[in-house]
Amino acid sequence: MRLSQKTALVTGAARGLGRACALRFAEEGADLVLLDVAADIADVPYPLGTPDQLEATARLCRERGASVLAARADVRQQKDVDAVVADALDRFGRIDVLVNNAGIAAPSGKAVHEITEDEWGVMLDVDLSGAWRTIKAVVPSMAKQRSGSIVNISSTAGLVGYRYFAGYVAAKHGLIGLTRAAALDYAALQIRVNALCPGQVREEPTLEGRMLSEVARSLGVAPEDQETAFLESQPMNALVNPEDVSSAALWLASDDARQVTGSVVTVDGGFSTR
Amino acid sequence: MSTRISPPPTAGPGSAAAFFAGTTFDARPARACHGLVRRMPEGLTADRIAERLAAAQESGALPADLRLWVEDVATAAADPASEALRVREASRATRHDGRLRAVLLSYADGVVDLVLVAHRRAADSAGLDLVGRILAGAADDTERLTLPGDLPRHTAADAAPPAWGMGDPRRTGVTGAVRIGPVAIAPQSAAPVLLAATALLLARYADRDRTVGLLAVDRADRDRFAAVDLPVDDGTPLVDLVRHAENALASAAPVSADRPVPAVGIVVLSEQDEGYRPFLELPFPVTFTWDPRRDGTHVGRLDYDEAALHPEAAEQLARHVGRLTALVGAKPDDAFGDRTPVSGDVELMTDEERAALLDLGRPQPAPLRPATTVHAAFARRAAERPGATALSDATRELTYAQLDEAATRMSAALAERGAGPGTFVGVCMDRDTDLVVTLLAVLKTGAAYVPMDPRYPVERLRYTTEDAGLRLVVTTLDEFPAADGVTAVHPGALTGSTAATPAPADDPDAPAYVIYTSGSTGKPKGVVVPHRNVGALMAATTEDMRLGPDDVWTLFHSSSFDFSVWEIWGCLLTGGHLVVVPYWVSRSPEEFHALLVQRRVTVLSQTPSAFASLRDVHLNQQQSLALRLVVFGGEPLDVRSLELWFRREPHDRCRLVNMFGITETTVHVTTSTVTPVEVAAGSRSVGTALPGWTLSVRDARGRVQPLGVPGEIYVGGAGVADRYLNRPELTAERFVDDRLTGERAYRSGDLGRLRPGGRLDHLGRIDDQVKVRGFRIELGEIRSVLLDDPTVSAGAVVLNQGDGDAAGVRLDAYVVLRPSGSVAEVRRRLREVLPEHMVPATLTAVPGIPLTVNGKVDRAKLPEPDQLPAAEAATGAAPAAEEGAPAQEGLADVVLRAWRATLGPEVGPDDDFFDLGGNSLLAVRLSAALRREGLQSVPLRDLYLQPTAARLAEHLTARQAAEAGTGRP
Repeated sequence: MRLSQKTALVTGAARGLGRACALRFAEEGADLVLLDVAADIADVPYPLGTPDQLEATARLCRERGASVLAARADVRQQKDVDAVVADALDRFGRIDVLVNNAGIAAPSGKAVHEITEDEWGVMLDVDLSGAWRTIKAVVPSMAKQRSGSIVNISSTAGLVGYRYFAGYVAAKHGLIGLTRAAALDYAALQIRVNALCPGQVREEPTLEGRMLSEVARSLGVAPEDQETAFLESQPMNALVNPEDVSSAALWLASDDARQVTGSVVTVDGGFSTR
Repeated sequence: MSTRISPPPTAGPGSAAAFFAGTTFDARPARACHGLVRRMPEGLTADRIAERLAAAQESGALPADLRLWVEDVATAAADPASEALRVREASRATRHDGRLRAVLLSYADGVVDLVLVAHRRAADSAGLDLVGRILAGAADDTERLTLPGDLPRHTAADAAPPAWGMGDPRRTGVTGAVRIGPVAIAPQSAAPVLLAATALLLARYADRDRTVGLLAVDRADRDRFAAVDLPVDDGTPLVDLVRHAENALASAAPVSADRPVPAVGIVVLSEQDEGYRPFLELPFPVTFTWDPRRDGTHVGRLDYDEAALHPEAAEQLARHVGRLTALVGAKPDDAFGDRTPVSGDVELMTDEERAALLDLGRPQPAPLRPATTVHAAFARRAAERPGATALSDATRELTYAQLDEAATRMSAALAERGAGPGTFVGVCMDRDTDLVVTLLAVLKTGAAYVPMDPRYPVERLRYTTEDAGLRLVVTTLDEFPAADGVTAVHPGALTGSTAATPAPADDPDAPAYVIYTSGSTGKPKGVVVPHRNVGALMAATTEDMRLGPDDVWTLFHSSSFDFSVWEIWGCLLTGGHLVVVPYWVSRSPEEFHALLVQRRVTVLSQTPSAFASLRDVHLNQQQSLALRLVVFGGEPLDVRSLELWFRREPHDRCRLVNMFGITETTVHVTTSTVTPVEVAAGSRSVGTALPGWTLSVRDARGRVQPLGVPGEIYVGGAGVADRYLNRPELTAERFVDDRLTGERAYRSGDLGRLRPGGRLDHLGRIDDQVKVRGFRIELGEIRSVLLDDPTVSAGAVVLNQGDGDAAGVRLDAYVVLRPSGSVAEVRRRLREVLPEHMVPATLTAVPGIPLTVNGKVDRAKLPEPDQLPAAEAATGAAPAAEEGAPAQEGLADVVLRAWRATLGPEVGPDDDFFDLGGNSLLAVRLSAALRREGLQSVPLRDLYLQPTAARLAEHLTARQAAEAGTGRP
């Protein structure tokens, strides 16, 4: 049990990679704070996680032996995030791991000059500033503990460009920058901050993720065609599975990575090395 | 515990600096928390309990900010997964601001558990109980949860772990537990009894820190978290202990953040409660928790951090605390009859425990070998390999047959002069082959040899001769002090005897040698060691060290130091080749190193301080050594000094063995192989007893001390010497019949502790006997010589450890002079009587010797010693050359600068090296300092012959001139 006696807060935990990380952490002995907006957001052109999906993640974690605090919050609102963190500290006494997974893939599918102010704003507010807000909320308690691991889920889009995804690419690049700066700020307090960059992740029905579908839709192609296109550009010729990403997150969260901070870990089958 | 954080560069009013500076590290929030688990009545659902909470908050019975968390558990209450969850929940500390947390575990089968955890500031044990009762519907309407008041934050650092615990700092955070009891204690007096027993234990364990931590949990009263000082010493009557404990409890100081948390503490619970957890993390590194049971007994539990306690020390501690608690808890007269027992009377151990500890000090049985004499054993080696080289020095080499024959011939001549069984023959010779021939010859006559170093002052030689009652002394000294009835004979006069060879006496119990050691009476005393002990020493070591005919040993040490017994007979009784190291070579690490290389020496015996110089020479050279074994003896070894050595000489090629030994127990007692593992751990262990030797650690009454607890080292078994020569009273005092083992034992006067596995830590001398550069010195002996001076009315001698390195260790003497006296005269007379290593490095006149209340010299009140004797001699000396004018700097100035760099800034050109406290190690440093000044290498012999800076400079000038004249570079 690599996370026994630890408490992990996962954002965007209702489905997809957030759910994958939460379940994996529960299996490794962690207690969980599950945070999700569990509602749709204006300007985001696809359905986001739901309260039922969040509750489902909580139930799956409990079945794996975890104690769970599930809470709805929008990472665009500092006070919402602060309230969840305060509750989490009341309930569990400490937060050892923060996984900043909440993120949106769209609005996308436009060239840079075509993006509207609102579209640009919501993308950066969720995908970049959301992580900054949760870090602000958890760092004071991690500082008192003199320990903590923060894993920011960035993307290969944080390392290379993608056509018609400027907002997403800019936010995910920004998240890597935030990771590196925060790693330096908090190294002396034994708080580690790392970024994880998954490539295109296969959609697994039990996780109810939407990322690949939304990328395909934004580009106006069928999800199968998007998969095929990605496979051709992937040196290992396979899409990344959710558990590949949660395994890397588990490692960064655990004491096995006690000397790892400020690093950018790619889980992309070699995609970004081209 | 706190960690220093480097603040960000913006130290202004910016929030970053404030955040980094203001974030305190709360390492152990769980330490100040306690918990309670209550099963809720059947049929009481989570919703119903939430309503109860709301009602209680409405009425003011519970605080408005108390939240109830509900956890739906996927498994039934009895499922192991549920149990794990329950334990996890009940061990989870609250957040740092110290709230009360209430969690309902709602299991799949409808059972509900309430888990409460609180910082002690939020609720005491009665408070937790009340919350549980209110939510279960079992409380009185009038009851209100009250805050326990302002308990201090429990964030102080822990006190240093107890030395007797033998914990391993690398195991910090790893905990263990041992059960204790049950023990009968009257419930109303439980806390004072438990406190008294714990304080008594700390006193008997000779712990320096006797503060006991206390966490007293009392439902009727307030919980208390305190540090209690209860003075106990060996004379404290047991009947007073509990009363003293009651008083101490009444005035106990709360644990506070500015005082270390006591290393040892007790948790006393006032009633049995299975659901209550008095702490979530050990409140003290060594924590005893006592639970009352319905039958009136208490059950104890020792929880400990392995950084503070070795698991075996914990087992032992639990046994002893159980026993002491039962004893203190019982009426005193039950255990001790009509005496008034005191703390020191208490027996900590059972017979079985004591026997087990005695067995630990006897790790291996004695090898079965028939007892023999040294010379008979030698004769067997000589018969086996007569042509093998036995002995050599720079000019001569003897085979075993030649050595045997030469010694036999000399023994006949000695016998003619009266040597024979029951007699003692003095041998006062420099180290060469003749010395070894002579020692063997003495043994062949059946006599014992009494070695004397020819460099000792005449007075010391005369004293030894008279004390041992010598009639015959073999010596190369022309001026051996004459005494009535003593024949001094040159070894050269003992070779030509034509008399018939006497039959070698062969009594293993007969004395083989008498070696004089420092005596606490102020006089050296002779230790009489029989032949069989030397045989036992070889039996104990030969196999383990694989000593054999291929080995080349050195004879490095003075024959008056018993390390030489090991060198000579260790070699010659195992068929090796003994290379005699001349005195001058033994003083020069460079020359000695060259000898080791050239003679392919395989077995080397050294004191650690001599080895340090040799190591430095070796590490600066490319030549390889043939060494396969180095034996350390004579003084404590600091293993860290071996780190560099191991980088050059792997331990599997050259084995390093540290041996603790005493002349009275035949050179060695313990053996410990030192590897890089021991170096990394900074081990102080001198290892386990040699096969046939036994050791134990005793208190002042001769009782066996527990593991880890310091006491006097007793040595028994095959190495114990016969007696002190002509000192029946001292012999009776130190060589005792050990009632616990039934064997003879030597009380070493050394302080030690036994570790698990029978390894011994050597902790120094109990009295003021000290070691300086490998020489064992009784400070009292020097003091008594000081006091023999008619101009001295009082004196004290203290050991000055310097800056911790072996060469800096020195003796400082203080004298109160009569009007006619002078420091210089006192020093001169000291040098006449004492060997060089016993002459104090400084001698300071004081108006009086400060004493402690116990009448002992109060070292702290002695002044700083007069820098060096230069100060007193300076009046007549030429002023030292001024700084500057480098163009005019002559050789004399360069030499003086090197002297000052080595010996201190006050040194004048005419100060004598030895008067300045010079020793062989400082001589090596001076030699190095001269080389740094660009001078040619100065052989150490020159330093001894030209012992002032001025004379050395003259000598070097003359040498340079001579070399210039002969055209040498």
